[in-house]
Amino acid sequence: MEILSSLNTSGLLLLKIAILFSLLLYIVFSLVVVKQVNLMTDTLDVEIDRFIRFLANVQLIFVMGVFVFSLITL
Amino acid sequence: MPDIFTSPNTSQETIEGNADALKEQKQKPFPIPTKSKTIDESTRHKLPGHSHNPIAAFCYYPDRVNFIQKDPQEKLVLMLRRHPITNAGWIFTALILLILPGFLSVLPAFEDLPANFQLVAIIIWYLLTASFVFEKFLGWFFNVNILTDERIFDVDFVNLIYREITDANIDQIQDVTVQLGGSIRTIFNYGNVVIQTAAEIPQIEFEAVPNPDKVANILRELRVEEETEKIEGRIR
Repeated sequence: MEILSSLNTSGLLLLKIAILFSLLLYIVFSLVVVKQVNLMTDTLDVEIDRFIRFLANVQLIFVMGVFVFSLITL
Repeated sequence: MPDIFTSPNTSQETIEGNADALKEQKQKPFPIPTKSKTIDESTRHKLPGHSHNPIAAFCYYPDRVNFIQKDPQEKLVLMLRRHPITNAGWIFTALILLILPGFLSVLPAFEDLPANFQLVAIIIWYLLTASFVFEKFLGWFFNVNILTDERIFDVDFVNLIYREITDANIDQIQDVTVQLGGSIRTIFNYGNVVIQTAAEIPQIEFEAVPNPDKVANILRELRVEEETEKIEGRIR
C-alpha cells in the first residue's frame, strides 16, 4: 500500500507502459479469438454463426478502443 | 344365456390397429430416415426432441445445421451439446467477477491510484470478464456431438487453436454404454454415452449429454436401420 501510495511520475509511467503492453497482447489474443471463431463457424455451420462472428469482432474493436483510450488518457 | 354385449368386429380391428400403432410408436419414438423414406418439414417440427432453439443441447433433426465433413446426401439426425447445467460453474464465476469491481473501493491501494488509472483498470477488468464468458460459451457451443444416418461425429475444440473431429460409421459401432451417476446428473437427467467402435479410434464419448437413454435409443435405431439397409443391399 505504501509502495503504491508513493508512486511518483516515473512509477506511473512504468504502470502506463505495462498497461499498454498488456493491452497490445490482449489485441493479439482477440485476433486469435476472431480467427478461432471463424474456424469454428466454418467447421460447424449453425443458425447464429453470424452473431457469434459479430461478437468476436466487437470484442476486437472494443479492445482496440480501450488501447487508444488508455494511450490518450493515461 | 345371451351375451349382454358383443362388440362389433370392426371396432375390435380398430382397437387392435390402434394398439399396434401405439406399440410401434412406443417402440420407435424416434423415427430414423432411410434412403427410401425421408422425414418432411412438417413432421420434423412435431417430433419429440426437435427444437428451434439455436443453443439447444438436445436437438432431434436440427433445422439449419451443417458441418465440414458432412456428405451432401447424409441426413442429420441428432445434435448434442453438454447439458446447460454444466455451464453453472463458469456462470457463477462470471457473476462474481462482475460484482468484484464494486468492492475495489475497500482497497486503499486502488484508491491511491489516479482517477484515469482507476477507470482504465475497471474497463480492463470488465473486458477480461467478457472474454472469459465468451471463451467459455464458445467452448460449450462448438463442442458438439452429431449423429447422422451414416456416421457419428465428435467435434472437440480443445483450446483456442486445437480442433479435433472424430467420426465413425454407424455400422462400426460395437457397443453403446450409458453412464449416468451422481445426484446432479440424476436430477437433470444427463450423462455420458460411451460408444465402442471398430474404427481406428476405438472409443467415442459423448460427454454430459442430456437424455442419454434417448441418445442410446436413437443409436440403436440407427444401427438397426443400417443393418436392414445392408441386408436389403441399399448401402450408400
